[in-house]
Amino acid sequence: MIEARGVSRHFRTTTALQDVTLVAARGDVHALLGPNGAGKTTLLRILSGLMAPTSGVVSVLGLDVHTRALRHVVGLVPSGDRSFYLRISGLENLVFFGRLHGLSRNQAIARGRDVLEAVGLEDAANKPVGVYSHGMQKRLSVARALLAEPSVLLVDEATHDLDPEGARRIRELVAALAGSGSTVLWATQRIDEIRGFAGNVTLLHRGRVRFSGTVPELMAHATPQSYLLRLRNGVADRDALQQVLDRALPGKARIATADDAEHYRLGLADGVVLGDALASLTLEGVQVLACREERSEIEEAFLALTRDGG
Amino acid sequence: MNTTPAVEVPAVRSGSHFGAFLGEAAKVTAFLRRDFLVAWSYRMSFFSEIAGMFVQAITFYFVGLMVNDSVLPTYGGENVTYMEFAAVGIAFGAFISVGLGQVATAVRQEQLMGTLESLLMTPTSPATIQAGSVAYPLLFLPLRTGVFLALIAFAFGLDFAPGGLAPAALVFLLFTPFVWGLGLLSAAGVMTFKRGTAGIGFGVALLVLTSGAYFPLELLPRFVELVAEFNPLAVAIGGVRDALLGNAGWHSLSAEVFLLVPMGAASLAAGVTAFRLAVRRERARGTIGLY
Repeated sequence: MIEARGVSRHFRTTTALQDVTLVAARGDVHALLGPNGAGKTTLLRILSGLMAPTSGVVSVLGLDVHTRALRHVVGLVPSGDRSFYLRISGLENLVFFGRLHGLSRNQAIARGRDVLEAVGLEDAANKPVGVYSHGMQKRLSVARALLAEPSVLLVDEATHDLDPEGARRIRELVAALAGSGSTVLWATQRIDEIRGFAGNVTLLHRGRVRFSGTVPELMAHATPQSYLLRLRNGVADRDALQQVLDRALPGKARIATADDAEHYRLGLADGVVLGDALASLTLEGVQVLACREERSEIEEAFLALTRDGG
Repeated sequence: MNTTPAVEVPAVRSGSHFGAFLGEAAKVTAFLRRDFLVAWSYRMSFFSEIAGMFVQAITFYFVGLMVNDSVLPTYGGENVTYMEFAAVGIAFGAFISVGLGQVATAVRQEQLMGTLESLLMTPTSPATIQAGSVAYPLLFLPLRTGVFLALIAFAFGLDFAPGGLAPAALVFLLFTPFVWGLGLLSAAGVMTFKRGTAGIGFGVALLVLTSGAYFPLELLPRFVELVAEFNPLAVAIGGVRDALLGNAGWHSLSAEVFLLVPMGAASLAAGVTAFRLAVRRERARGTIGLY
């Protein structure tokens, strides 16, 4: 279990975190969502004991985060690339860190090979880390965090430099770890990846918690308003289409031309039912061939919550 | 917040402190292997450092041809050549400059590589991280210094007393904690001020200048000479010269032991304390990974 209560962190005149409260339960993948500069990394560094909060209380598994024994069961995937010895191989790096976790050399080698295979780096095991790509170093970072089979995993932008397949593989590994009872705090700005992966989410913006709850609850904040339509036949003129919408939904729908004569961008005010707008067009003989949300629901929620004053 | 942990967290049980100590000591070997692999990956640098010391020795050999040996002190009533006199100074000068530099660089490298935070995230005590980070240079340098002295003794036909080898080794060992402590102090400085290596170079130059490494202390102004007599480097060099050149036995080392032991202890205590305070400060400020 990870707990942060009323945590603030100031850097001279800058406030990185302000009264942040977060609770991540055992077995949960808890997403820490937020744009750049939201305070995600600062919070993870505080939770990992690398930085002290200015005020507030943090604990992991009920213990003070500076308890050394806790480091046996806490894994950290840092956000930066710079966390390995570039002149020695990936396996030797893992063996070194494994030994610092108390494994014997033979145990560390065996465990190192296991986690390298798990993150898909077995073929690069004996290459110097200096020749690894950013994505490979990130996967190595995940492998290192898994070395000690952590009960708590703190992950900072793990999939940032990964291709979709690599990202999926890492998420599956982490989900499996959570499935075995570990607590995972997964910091990301890639909001689409938390759907179907994270159970709960805390949204940070400018150092403050803007939302805390489940992913479906987050999506309830979504106000999808913009759609891309592909139309055929009937009125082809934008002004004529706007008149049709004005009659059905006065002042609540706007339409604009998109890339070509077939595509239009439809904007709806809050509370307007998309079907009503489409029905009004159909009634005038316009065929709606396709309709696509311009942003995902989750992205809309994110934007709604991080908008100034949101 | 006193929630009962749902997961068992390993703890050091009372009575298992010795086991914990052994566990931490075993980790130092992991640091040694890591640093050997890193050093070996820079083979050119590895060999060029040794070659550089030989070139320095050759330079001093030719300088020695111009020096009137009668200005040099006598050891055990015997005159010595300048090369014999300077060889010990070269070895100790290299030991302290490379030693201090490498210890401070070890921490700076960890900061630059971003690995310091990774180390601090492992269940390893700060003392082990300190010891581990400097273990390789501190083990390798005395070995290299000894080999260097042996090789130039052979190459330049230096007349070292075999009976003085063991007492010289003791002086050398007693001097090592002093270098270790200074190294940790400089490492703490580097961690705190990020760019403190220029100060290390100046400090080493001052220590070497007032150590009698390359010329007799008697040539210095009187007041500097008086201060220099308490320079641990001067004490160590003097002791090793007495042993190797004057064949002084164990009984003549009491003054060196009397000075070097407390100096080494004080230096080590100051270094360990400064390093711990530096880590604590950087943690509190959240700047441990900055460089």
